[in-house]
Amino acid sequence: SVTEIRSGFTAIKANIQARDPIRTLSILSYPHSLHRVKSSDRCCITHHLFNFYVDKVFKHCKTEDSYVNRKISSIANSFLSVKRKLGQCHEQNKCMCGQESAKKFKQILVNYEGLNVTSAAIKSLGELDILLDWMEKSR
Amino acid sequence: EDALLPAPQNISILSTNMKHFLTWSPVIVQGETVRYSVEFQGEYEREYANESWIPICECSLITATVCNITDDISATVAYNLRVRADVGVGRSEWGTLEGFFNRITTSLTPPLMKVIADGYHLLVELEDMGPAFQFCVLYWKKGQESRMQRKVVKEVSSVVHLDAMEAGPDYCVKAQTYVEAINRSSSFSQTQCVRAQGGRSVWL
Repeated sequence: SVTEIRSGFTAIKANIQARDPIRTLSILSYPHSLHRVKSSDRCCITHHLFNFYVDKVFKHCKTEDSYVNRKISSIANSFLSVKRKLGQCHEQNKCMCGQESAKKFKQILVNYEGLNVTSAAIKSLGELDILLDWMEKSR
Repeated sequence: EDALLPAPQNISILSTNMKHFLTWSPVIVQGETVRYSVEFQGEYEREYANESWIPICECSLITATVCNITDDISATVAYNLRVRADVGVGRSEWGTLEGFFNRITTSLTPPLMKVIADGYHLLVELEDMGPAFQFCVLYWKKGQESRMQRKVVKEVSSVVHLDAMEAGPDYCVKAQTYVEAINRSSSFSQTQCVRAQGGRSVWL
């Protein structure tokens, strides 16, 4: 559940964000923060972002710290569980993707691919609270 | 390193109220202390991270034959678990849990509950079972089961106020737990009834 993702992330947030030296860039917030997403596009953006984290981010976040790795595993497995539910919504056409969400998600991928994969993955993981805050505000 | 030791056997999970423990039979080596190490693998690791395994450091080279895996089983997905034994330089193969473990199968017990008549106020004290637990409390005037009332308690504070009571009739209460993460409830507790009598708690 999102609550468990939040508590898992909170436990390692400082550690992960300390590993991200590039302060002037953002994966999720540049140029417009997620908060400028129309409500009709929210489900689709969330679905895309959960796929993004599961497919691209977590696997490149391995650290030398066993505790951090266990928490990343917890978050990744919780993401997988939520991703599955979002996938069901998508299949039942309850999660329509408009041009707006496609454009926004494409920008996120451009931001991500603008960095080397490890830096991009660690930065994305460090920005998880941006995603979680946005999801909770849009509930 | 040849595997000199047999792998741990009878590996199983004890899971009650979202607390999960891995247990196994001891590996016996006369005159030696055998130590064990545990690793887990979630569905994410199997499908997206090259089937990698993650060690549980609290259960690395331990002599006990039980490991609390609650903190690592933190998603409602299928987990694999394995244990191996070490003695000196000898090391066994991994013994792996038969089948997966998903926390959705945890057994949920009814909550411990204490019903209190504080004057004309009907109160209930509920056991604190951790942040994953909510409670559904049902209460009614004895004989008027059809007019049962329901209160959902999301966070356990010390005492929960249910209702104001009239003097005379008995008031009955029962409760069950609900775990949102797995969308399951326990069975109901035993019913407890009390009666208001001018400010003195009375048990029936």
